[in-house]
Amino acid sequence: MKKYYRWRRGIITSILVSVVLLVVITSMAHANSATRAQRESDTPVAPYDWTSINALIAETDDPASSITPPPATDPCLHCHIQGENKGLWTPLTRWALFGSLGLVFVLGVYRSATVWKTRKPWKPFTQRSVEWVDERYEISEPMTKILKKPVPKYATRWFYCLGGITAFLFVVQGVTGIMLAFYYKPTPEAAFASIQFIESQVRFGSAIRMVHHWAANGMIVMCIAHMLRVFIMGAYKPPRELNWVSGVVLLLVTLGFGLTGYLLPWDQTAYWATTVATEIAGALPVVGDLALVFLRMGWNITAVTLGRFYALHILILPILTLVLMLGHFLMIRRQGVAKPL
Amino acid sequence: MSEAELNNQEETIPFYPDHVKTEFYVVIGTTVVVMIVGLIGLFMPVGLGEPADPMNTPAHAKPEWYFLFLYQLLKYIPKSAGAVGPVLAMILITIWPFIDRKPDKSRRAYRSRFIIAGVIIIIVIALTIWGEVG
Repeated sequence: MKKYYRWRRGIITSILVSVVLLVVITSMAHANSATRAQRESDTPVAPYDWTSINALIAETDDPASSITPPPATDPCLHCHIQGENKGLWTPLTRWALFGSLGLVFVLGVYRSATVWKTRKPWKPFTQRSVEWVDERYEISEPMTKILKKPVPKYATRWFYCLGGITAFLFVVQGVTGIMLAFYYKPTPEAAFASIQFIESQVRFGSAIRMVHHWAANGMIVMCIAHMLRVFIMGAYKPPRELNWVSGVVLLLVTLGFGLTGYLLPWDQTAYWATTVATEIAGALPVVGDLALVFLRMGWNITAVTLGRFYALHILILPILTLVLMLGHFLMIRRQGVAKPL
Repeated sequence: MSEAELNNQEETIPFYPDHVKTEFYVVIGTTVVVMIVGLIGLFMPVGLGEPADPMNTPAHAKPEWYFLFLYQLLKYIPKSAGAVGPVLAMILITIWPFIDRKPDKSRRAYRSRFIIAGVIIIIVIALTIWGEVG
């Protein structure tokens, strides 16, 4: 019971710390945005004349103009006119803070009232939802069996973490990659500009791209480190042969991610790095030309190559990785981790 | 390894919460590193070079660092051998567990595998640095 409270205290502390961090980070981003220059310049920017939009509407001939009229009563007119508009984050933080406090208050009232009415101890909502699900689907018993499976104590030694870090970095790549895919355009005309847009205009865009870039390199490093650990410990020996094979395929897929992803920014470095990297395949004796044309979708790197690499990078390879990873993990689960010396 | 086998030879911990907790700490640590990288990225972005121009080959075109050792290898040995070699090596690595089947838990076997892996890694790192500098 005591342990539970210690956990809860840690969770509450980490939530508080992350809220403070969020506020600090967002205010930093705010301080570095263009409004700062406006605020600090000697000639302040004239506040926008909010009423002029009425004149604009009056001038248009077409009554059913596409311009929607402003609301009769602006919810915060002085915010716009006197420059008090604080953007999104201040009201959002306020709503989150006071809204959650209000929810806590309502819950407290409900709880007190229920306990008083029923004269029974309070049952936490987590326990209620678990019971609700278990009543219907009866998963608690198999879940307990899965979760309580004994693991040898040596499985927590430090050198067993390398594969886990690789898997977690893949998750990081998935999340940041989805974020980048919202803005990226896979055509030679637009790719470079869309990356520029991510780097300079999108909020936290440069941070997300930085994480995607370095986590990709880290994933390859961790893959190789994990492979070396398995090799040195002889963990590939029977009965774990297929685990090794699937791991090698996963390494190749990761390198495929690297090859296809490196072309996407479509700058000189990316273009020529991909050119010489695919030339390596072109050096194969009999099938060289075929491999080269297959990789580049033609003799040169063109718009077609970019599109194919993009599809490979965001669809084919992730699905392949997920399937292989599932197999990899299930085999570990079945056979256990190899024993160290 | 069956559960009975596990129980009578080693002390065990339950998968949840003990093992999950260790993994959770690893995840938290990695997340912290990732967040720091992201914070650095806010102020020092990865950046972009010139837009790609297929007509204009730059003086020193290099592949990504993880293909650099192959590229460097291809520069100095006959092309076909340099390309076939890695493919054969990859096939050998893939089927290695079917070749080296003897269960051997001795310290000597560990040390010899450590030396093999170390030599290969040092060669690859040396080739990569050579390619990066040269």
